[in-house]
Amino acid sequence: MAVVGVDTGGTFTDIICRTGQGFAVVKLPSTPDDPSRAILEGLARLSLTPARVMHGSTVATNALLERRGAVTAFVANAGFEDIIAIGRQNRPDLYDLASRKEPCLVAQHLRFGVPGRISAEGRVVEELSIEDAQELAARVAASGADSVAVCLLFSFLAPEHELLVGEALAEAGLSVSLSSDILAEFREFERAATTVANAYVAPVMRAYLGALAQGLPDGAQLCVMQSSGGLISADTARREPVRTVLSGPAGGVVAALAVGKASGFDKLITFDMGGTSTDVSLLDGALSMAMETVLAGMPIKTPMLDIHTVGAGGGSLAAMDAGGALRVGPQSAGANPGPACYGRGDGLTVTDANLFLGRLAPDHFLGGAMALYPERLPELFTALGAASGLSATEAAEGVVAVAEAAMERAIRVISVERGHDPAEFALLSYGGAGGLHAVSLARLLGVETVVVPRHPGLFSALGMLLADVVRDFSETVMAASDKTDLIEVAGLFGTLETRARQVMAEEAPGARMVLERQLDMRYKGQSHELPIRFVADPFLAFHNRHEAVFGFKHPKDVIEIVTLRIRARVITEKPAFEEAEHYVAAVPAEAKLGQRPLLWRGQEQPAMWYERDKLLAGNHFDGPALVAETSATTFVPPGASVRVDGLGNLVIAAGGQD
Amino acid sequence: MMNITPITLEVFKNKFASVAEEMGVALTRTAYSPNIKERRDFSCAVFDAGGDMVAQAAHIPVHLGSMPLSVRAAIDAVDMGPGDMVMLNDPFKGGTHLPDITLVAPVYAGGDTPLFYVASRAHHADVGGMAAGSMPLSTSIFQEGLVIPPVRIVSGGEIVPGVMALFLANVRTPVERQGDFAAQIMANRTGVARMEALIAAHGRDAVTRLGQALLDYAQRLMAAAITAIPDGSYTASDALDDDGAGSGEVTVRLTLTIEGDAAELDFRASDPQTAGCINAVRAIAVSAALYVFRALAGEAVPANAGCLRPLAIITKPGTVVDARFPAAVAGGNVETSQRIVDVILRALALALPDRLPAASQGTMNNLAMGGIDARTGAAFTYYETLAGGAGADATGPGQSGVHSHMTNTLNTPIEALEYAYPLRVTRYALRRGSGGPGEHCGGEGLVRELEALAPMEATVLSDRRLRGPWGLAGGGEGAPGVNVLTRRTGEMAMPGKFHVHLRPGDRLRIETPGGGGYGSSG
Repeated sequence: MAVVGVDTGGTFTDIICRTGQGFAVVKLPSTPDDPSRAILEGLARLSLTPARVMHGSTVATNALLERRGAVTAFVANAGFEDIIAIGRQNRPDLYDLASRKEPCLVAQHLRFGVPGRISAEGRVVEELSIEDAQELAARVAASGADSVAVCLLFSFLAPEHELLVGEALAEAGLSVSLSSDILAEFREFERAATTVANAYVAPVMRAYLGALAQGLPDGAQLCVMQSSGGLISADTARREPVRTVLSGPAGGVVAALAVGKASGFDKLITFDMGGTSTDVSLLDGALSMAMETVLAGMPIKTPMLDIHTVGAGGGSLAAMDAGGALRVGPQSAGANPGPACYGRGDGLTVTDANLFLGRLAPDHFLGGAMALYPERLPELFTALGAASGLSATEAAEGVVAVAEAAMERAIRVISVERGHDPAEFALLSYGGAGGLHAVSLARLLGVETVVVPRHPGLFSALGMLLADVVRDFSETVMAASDKTDLIEVAGLFGTLETRARQVMAEEAPGARMVLERQLDMRYKGQSHELPIRFVADPFLAFHNRHEAVFGFKHPKDVIEIVTLRIRARVITEKPAFEEAEHYVAAVPAEAKLGQRPLLWRGQEQPAMWYERDKLLAGNHFDGPALVAETSATTFVPPGASVRVDGLGNLVIAAGGQD
Repeated sequence: MMNITPITLEVFKNKFASVAEEMGVALTRTAYSPNIKERRDFSCAVFDAGGDMVAQAAHIPVHLGSMPLSVRAAIDAVDMGPGDMVMLNDPFKGGTHLPDITLVAPVYAGGDTPLFYVASRAHHADVGGMAAGSMPLSTSIFQEGLVIPPVRIVSGGEIVPGVMALFLANVRTPVERQGDFAAQIMANRTGVARMEALIAAHGRDAVTRLGQALLDYAQRLMAAAITAIPDGSYTASDALDDDGAGSGEVTVRLTLTIEGDAAELDFRASDPQTAGCINAVRAIAVSAALYVFRALAGEAVPANAGCLRPLAIITKPGTVVDARFPAAVAGGNVETSQRIVDVILRALALALPDRLPAASQGTMNNLAMGGIDARTGAAFTYYETLAGGAGADATGPGQSGVHSHMTNTLNTPIEALEYAYPLRVTRYALRRGSGGPGEHCGGEGLVRELEALAPMEATVLSDRRLRGPWGLAGGGEGAPGVNVLTRRTGEMAMPGKFHVHLRPGDRLRIETPGGGGYGSSG
């Protein structure tokens, strides 16, 4: 009975399964019209009968990004129907005279109001009757909407009005998402937007998971990766698909944490460079969490991994601008025409620069499956540099330097801006293009070690096998420290805990579970919260944490407990990493592919090419060198040196600046 | 030695911008009040040794042209040593209006004189004066709050206690002010540390020269954008409803002359400064001009002093766009700044009718409230600005319910507002039908209604209440804004600028202007 990890990306669907002698893997083209087709075909190719399928899915993400979700209605308090369109009243682009927000997911005629109002103290200050709710449900049902989101003011304190409306809508046959279910936290727009996003993708997710389940053998269990890096059952994913919008990149980060820990690297910065964008995240012994992202112009507020994305990748286009600076991206050559070396267009990209500089080999690109045309590059790079007196080599090295500057900035966002010094971390690089820039990037950031794991091109799928089943519960309580004692604080968790236990009994029956409790607190008058793990005296812990993070504390001020959080985690059985028994320093002759010319800082020099799959544990070699494998290439510049560790990872000492 | 090449230009553009952005992150992270934390009413920037701006994070446009003057004033007035910081808000010495407090710090990086400066500016919700929220209907700067000339507030890394005590004794909400001020100090420390790291990595000479090269770069991009505008002289005017003190219309007049890659903006024909609070200091006119031309030039232009070089901005002291001491200026920064933008856009539309939008709401609808919260017995002040309709253009309709031009602050969530203050929001909606008609309609304004749950005072500073934002190319005007006070006795139409004492149960409804339409609808 096999446990299978599946990652559906835009281009490829990756499947990985633990077998007796390592991992069985398959990579096949995705089938975007119905992603389940590629999955089922891949499983058939591996001749697998899966008992459990753990799935990273971009179905919810793409439904939002491509606006292919359900016709969605929105219900708010009367007089507040437009809050979903007004948002935070800011425009996305400060200096664009024609700046336009993305259109609201809910059309104007599908926004409805109901009577009733709850106060900030949770009191009903205006009643809502059953008749009101039924009258509303009839109007929504007649509107042509397939799915409906309900968000009433202060429903997280007193959900009764939402529940009443929800029942009436469900009786009218509508698919309903209630904000008090999806996100029982304060700040109405973010809660409404998250609930609307859920309603918008729910019917799409339901149809997709239904089709996939039908193709799997009877009794096979299907789980879906959440944005938080934890798995949920397919049933939960059908009801709360908004929790999966960052499912795709989450798998790779989970794998990075596990591989890092197994190889002795607790503090990691992950670096996943693709064709059009690059994802980075920071792991300080644990997954870094964020609370909010923006998709299709809407804030989505669910627990999610803190992954930062920049629009710079291998396909980013280079050009000189009117002021005489070399710019790379945000425009991308895409898959068609693709980089100039694909032979279909003239737009120079980062990939072209790497090829021109000898860091990619035409015969090893995607295992040699795709022909490249390097012949045209000298002429094109000469033209790019000509206007500003740069040689072709300087121009190509410039393209790489500018792209790396954008990535450096991305990593600074998740490290320096969050109070971490990147020099204390190792850089773990995966995805197809990451290995070409990882060492240079490490040098820019003062990072000493770069790790390139095994199967860098299948890393997200591997992460599915390494994730726990996790569910997050939260509730805004607004309890002030001058009116709440520590016993009451513990009591506040009671209701939330009961709910967590009930839900988990269905999510993972009979499994052993760990509950992690957290409080979001602030000084009264502040407008942001600090998460604090629940300890014996959380107020004292807050004062101390506040001082550590912000540099000051006010021990005499009133503290507000804003939101309680419980994370329920079921520890799953995971494949172990097997360490090599023998270590050999000398690289075997069959791993050496021979020397080829490399351009480095304007000079040509020979660099040895190695074949990744033939390298053995303990092997050691110095740069300049390149390591080729089917789905990735790693560049080891002069001054850096590589050791293959017992798990088959390339561990690269980045070396100094020069 | 690092050479200036297309590559180093682009790389350092990123590096300098990162410093300003990291300052902003530190400020947001540590700020105390909703106004800075939630609404993000602040800016951070890096300056060279001469006080020229090298980089500003994408924060508030109205701070663009005025922050350099603050830094200049701080440099001239105080000899800042390592670890020192100078604060100021005096509109006649580099500030704009009193709530915006600027904090300046030198970057020595181990040298004998500062190589750079960093500065943060934040809108504090109260700086004293005659009305809670410090945005009063004043007739003199002295009614608007505490005037702070450039003064050393941090000395050798430590807050100067006497100066801080003097400041806190003059404001209504000292705990919040102290918290926000600590955040500004943190932002500046972040900026100093990042600049020092940059200098340590690349050398004093390289960083200084690249800073200058980036100014030249911005100048080239700006010049290229101006060259694309047809040469000629374009005259336009637009008016504010009144000054809140009975002035009647107050007109801003501009003659814009484009010649090759240079633009001259001559505002000298504008009306004289007025008794009421809508006077703008010259820095605001500079900010408005920079904002419009930088927007024309496109997103890639770094916000720095180089942008200003191709622009000649001429104002006459004593006019409403170049007010002299002791004019009242609380509203100049927020209202007159928008009208100056409208006038520049209107003049440019004569040259480039296809590229410019019709007028947007042209006001920030400032609402300041304050009193004693009976639930806690503590004083509170609350300040917000309301979005409205944006102007339509040749490519499509105007946006509804968004902030335009010189501001981009967020709203305060209803649930956050009701938790924090004795207020209830009774309506928050798009104002249907308020956008100007046209082939493309103007964006809709907003309706926001607040109910007082305790006795309090309120000040409203708004404009475009008499005449709506203009349309373009045959498009119609957006609906003018409306202010209404509802008491048990009934509804009362209120003027654009007023101060009122609210009783529990009183409601204040602000309906913001729609944007102008584009093209004739017929």
